[in-house]
Amino acid sequence: MGATTLARDRRIFLNKLGHILLNLPFVCLIIIPLAYTLMMSVMPASELYSRFFPTFAEWDSYVQVFTKTQIPRHILNSFIVAGSVTLLQMTTCSMAAFSFSFLHFKGREVVFMCILATMMVPWEATIIANYLTVSGWGWLDTFKVLILPYGCSAMGVFLMRQNYLTFAKELHEAAKIDGCNNWRFLATIVVPLSRPALGALGAYVFLQQWNQYLWPLLVTNSDKVRTVQIGVSQMYDIDSESIALMMAAVVVCLIPSLSIFVFMQKQLIDGLMAGAVKG
Amino acid sequence: MDKTAVILPKRRKKKTFYEHIEPWLFLLPALCVFGVFLYFPFFKTTYLSAFLTNKFGQAKVFVGFQNYIDILAGKYSGEFWNSIWVTVRFVFFVAGGSLLMGLCTSLITAKAFPGKAFASAIYAMPIAIASSAAAMSFKMILHKSIGLLNYLLGTKINWLSDEVWTFPILCILSIWLASGINFIFISAGLRNIPGELYESASIDGANYWKKQLHITLPCLSPTLFFQILVNIINAFQAFTLVKLLTNGGPTYKTQVIVYSIYLDAFRNFRFGTAAARSIVLFVIIMAITLIQFSTEKRSVHY
Repeated sequence: MGATTLARDRRIFLNKLGHILLNLPFVCLIIIPLAYTLMMSVMPASELYSRFFPTFAEWDSYVQVFTKTQIPRHILNSFIVAGSVTLLQMTTCSMAAFSFSFLHFKGREVVFMCILATMMVPWEATIIANYLTVSGWGWLDTFKVLILPYGCSAMGVFLMRQNYLTFAKELHEAAKIDGCNNWRFLATIVVPLSRPALGALGAYVFLQQWNQYLWPLLVTNSDKVRTVQIGVSQMYDIDSESIALMMAAVVVCLIPSLSIFVFMQKQLIDGLMAGAVKG
Repeated sequence: MDKTAVILPKRRKKKTFYEHIEPWLFLLPALCVFGVFLYFPFFKTTYLSAFLTNKFGQAKVFVGFQNYIDILAGKYSGEFWNSIWVTVRFVFFVAGGSLLMGLCTSLITAKAFPGKAFASAIYAMPIAIASSAAAMSFKMILHKSIGLLNYLLGTKINWLSDEVWTFPILCILSIWLASGINFIFISAGLRNIPGELYESASIDGANYWKKQLHITLPCLSPTLFFQILVNIINAFQAFTLVKLLTNGGPTYKTQVIVYSIYLDAFRNFRFGTAAARSIVLFVIIMAITLIQFSTEKRSVHY
């Protein structure tokens, strides 16, 4: 009896150990570039070419990022842009999805298909025409040019609609009988009930916008509206003075998106799955 | 009970004018955005592709299909077909590689073990990492004299301008960045497979690999199918890493299609041919989506 328990314990232990050993190389693969970035950001300039691992951490580069570069301004801009797009998309997608799932009108299916079909049009394929249009309007180098083109997304409409379809139709009927109009019904009943889906959409859109590169690269050319990804990528310089500064800027610009990811991970994943798999 | 009382509620009240337009009011903001920034530019791109433009992008001379002829068989065809070939190879490796990476990481975190939550969070993390910020780190890691990779391997290779290595490196970095979303979707797909299937297979004496082959793979096929489509579409739109790491080089070896559109329009100010390239990109992506959805019906197990 004792021997078999021992054998089983040993097997379980080896199984767990095996899993850990199996995961180790993959975890390293993802973590090493990030750890290296962090290490280089605190590398003292005096040790840069002589040692591989720094003997002590010099946090001065982080102070410099906030005092001597335009990065704080760029971070603020990125927050403005990503925050606005997130709020805008949460609003427009909720409204459109509401119409598609609770209201009945002629051509509903056709319009819905037209919106879904936009998923097939890559942004990059329309970017030239968009650029020419907005520059014709004199919109270059403004916040609205970074925000409005992303004011709605087919994926967001789809995600919210999937969520609304799970609601009981009686809820809408009951609200109507009580004299609640559709706008109030959406704002006071549907939206609070779909907080998880909205949270997932919000986190997804914020991440996407925070990490946006090509469009801001084309339409911004001053620090006034330039976003952090453009700011950071323009800091590339490998002389000994600026390596730590550049790496510190990379770390600083990764912090907001990584924090959102860490705090919203479960919601984000559940929400995205609900949209993808049930569809 | 009176019969009419039962029938009455069924008779529909005539809709007021407001009730007719209300659904459209809810759709208005969305339709405005799609109309102005997706449908209109799409048609404008098609229109531009039939013109020669000045350097401000204004259509000047109607040339019909000349822009398409120029890129497909004319003066820019060598460079154009190169960009298509580079992109197709890139898409093949990156879409496949990131799916494989997602599948491996999902399978090894499927069962409980100490540190599972930590490992899962790490595998999903690249979803939150911007390719531009990552490009800066990669540039340091791959640097010829002070980079980590040459230090670890004891080599002196200039990874980002080497005829042989640059393309594979670009693929690997793109896989690294795309692995997060693959892990998230595939591991969620794994969680949805009923555990009883594995239990009954164990009772029938199936080993680990047999179970993966006969249970996991068929049950996961809708997820894998969806994910490979997403991977392909995303990889076709790759731009940031190419722009920041290789600039399409060395000798056009990493000049993917979106980068060639960018160069054509914003470096050479040939908006007409750039628009024609954009339309080609759109047609490719649409064709892939349609082909995949028609094959899905035949080959995917639900």
